[in-house]
Amino acid sequence: MKTEALSTDPFPAKTVATRWKEHLGRHIDWCTLGFCIMGGLLVGITVLALANIATTELADPAHLLKVAASSQVIESILLTFGAGASAVLLLILFGTPLAYVLARSRPSRLKGAVESIVDIPLILPHTVAGLLVYLLFMRRGWLGAPLSEIGLAFEDALPGTIVAMLFVASPFYVNTMREGFEKVPVHLENVARTLGAGTFTTFRTVTLPLSLRHMYSGAILAWGRAIGEFAGVIMIAYYPFIISTLIYYSFTTDGIHTSRSIAFTVILVSFGVFYLLRRMTRYLGRYDDRV
Amino acid sequence: MIEFDRVSLALGSFRLNDVSLTIRKGDYYFIVGPSGAGKTVLLEAIAGLHRPDSGRVLLRGEEITALPPEKRKVALVYQDYSLFPNMRVSDNVSYGLRVQGMGKKEARAEVAPLLERFGIAHLTDRYPGTLSGGEQQRVALARAIAVKPDILLLDEPLSALDPVTQEKFIDDLRRLHREDGLTVVQVSHSRREAHLLATRMAVIIDGALVDEGKAGIVLNTPKSREVASFVGIENILDGTVTANEDGLATVVAGGLVFEAVTDATAGEEVTLCIRADDVVLAAGGGRRTSARNTLAGTVVQVVENGPVAEVRVDAGVTLTAVLTRRSVQDLGIVSGTPATLSVKATAIHVIRSFS
Repeated sequence: MKTEALSTDPFPAKTVATRWKEHLGRHIDWCTLGFCIMGGLLVGITVLALANIATTELADPAHLLKVAASSQVIESILLTFGAGASAVLLLILFGTPLAYVLARSRPSRLKGAVESIVDIPLILPHTVAGLLVYLLFMRRGWLGAPLSEIGLAFEDALPGTIVAMLFVASPFYVNTMREGFEKVPVHLENVARTLGAGTFTTFRTVTLPLSLRHMYSGAILAWGRAIGEFAGVIMIAYYPFIISTLIYYSFTTDGIHTSRSIAFTVILVSFGVFYLLRRMTRYLGRYDDRV
Repeated sequence: MIEFDRVSLALGSFRLNDVSLTIRKGDYYFIVGPSGAGKTVLLEAIAGLHRPDSGRVLLRGEEITALPPEKRKVALVYQDYSLFPNMRVSDNVSYGLRVQGMGKKEARAEVAPLLERFGIAHLTDRYPGTLSGGEQQRVALARAIAVKPDILLLDEPLSALDPVTQEKFIDDLRRLHREDGLTVVQVSHSRREAHLLATRMAVIIDGALVDEGKAGIVLNTPKSREVASFVGIENILDGTVTANEDGLATVVAGGLVFEAVTDATAGEEVTLCIRADDVVLAAGGGRRTSARNTLAGTVVQVVENGPVAEVRVDAGVTLTAVLTRRSVQDLGIVSGTPATLSVKATAIHVIRSFS
């Protein structure tokens, strides 16, 4: 009788397993979960590497502080960040007009060729990029020779570091900026022109303000790429030591202990700076683009 | 006022071909044509945003072909309004004055009456993204008017609006044209808008200007079959003139015999254009009238559209008549009702094959 009653129950009691299955089915998107796991593996490698160095370094804080507070490391970090910032300033000055022209010109062979040239530093091995910069800016180079005559030397000098950083970082800025300009509707520029604004005024008052976020993002990307460069820089300017050169020098002369402490210091400083810069993008060039 | 003299220009694969037109001071000039015909390119060329490959553009008789847009005293309003999303309404409207050198406070004071006039004063500090379509459009129009242009260029300004807002905006435009004496050039593919607003118009198809003149003439007596089709003539029949007696031609079209007023001679291929408004429909056998064309047929479809109804009658060829819905009810017209159609010979526009 009891079995019969259960079998005719229109709402039979659910097992725990069934309820869990239903709960998961309602609350979990398996596709998203799969993507999260796969992406997590990638992030995991970075986290693991950071955890590895942090564990070792934090075990000997006295040594870490000694290395981090040394004038050579501080000067090198400041030099690296400063040279990277100089390269980015030059990129903003020269790369912004280039990005605008690329964004607004119609497709053509010339445009395709220029875009490919812009991308060259992306596809070259860094040593090749460094060699190209060296050959052009060395004392007997096409540009190095005339510039050295007016007192601007590049070999083993800060200008050499800046120009190498500029070269390798340029695609990051130009391509990001071009995407930003492409997102500004041409109609806005056309309207501004008919209202009396000349080409440059239109660029200054309409196009550029609407592309500020891209400019900022491009500058951060380019700066990050610039300060991380090593092979490209040492070909023309082994001295003065930028941070990557200093770590390499320290690794080959003092060994892993000191070079690891310098590296950890750089990681902490870079992480802090980039975190602040990324936070700032929230407040820059934001506008309601529902129009 | 502004004249295009055989202007041609290529934009990628599109080409504007040999366009000649004249826009006079005080005109409400419509440029109509199907999608992709080149209407917006032509409008932008008037604004100076595209430089012609050949031909000349004249303003009050002086050549301005190479004059940049900022020096032409024209203002452009796009279909999408193109408000600057990073600027408040007041900054959008005063933008033109600001870039022409006026101070911020002065420019804001200057546009204040304009904001009142267009009913957008309460939106001064809002950003465009927070406005409705109608509000955005009024801001765009106010911004264009603020610079006191000689010519106002409008690119399909009504297409994105709901019917009620469209009616209001048509009134605004009519007032701007009539009361302010503004010369307006409007791109549209709406025959209704052209009927309501245009004083002159041009029809552009595949980059070529195929008809131009007074709006009533272009709309009612088109020069070609494709223009007739585009301006919405409901009944277009190809036929052959079999006789012409003192300007009253007999035309055989679709197996039916029509009489129409034209100089076309016997043997000439012609196209007959009959507005549905000009077709009189009588249910059943009808009565004798003075109309030269009387055709018997059967109602095949009744399409109601607001207060009127389009009645399609199979009389050998299918012809459309527009009746009031009251007439349709009074005559008891439904699909299958026998009907007699009458068209006056003078109501038929004849397109001659060589025109």
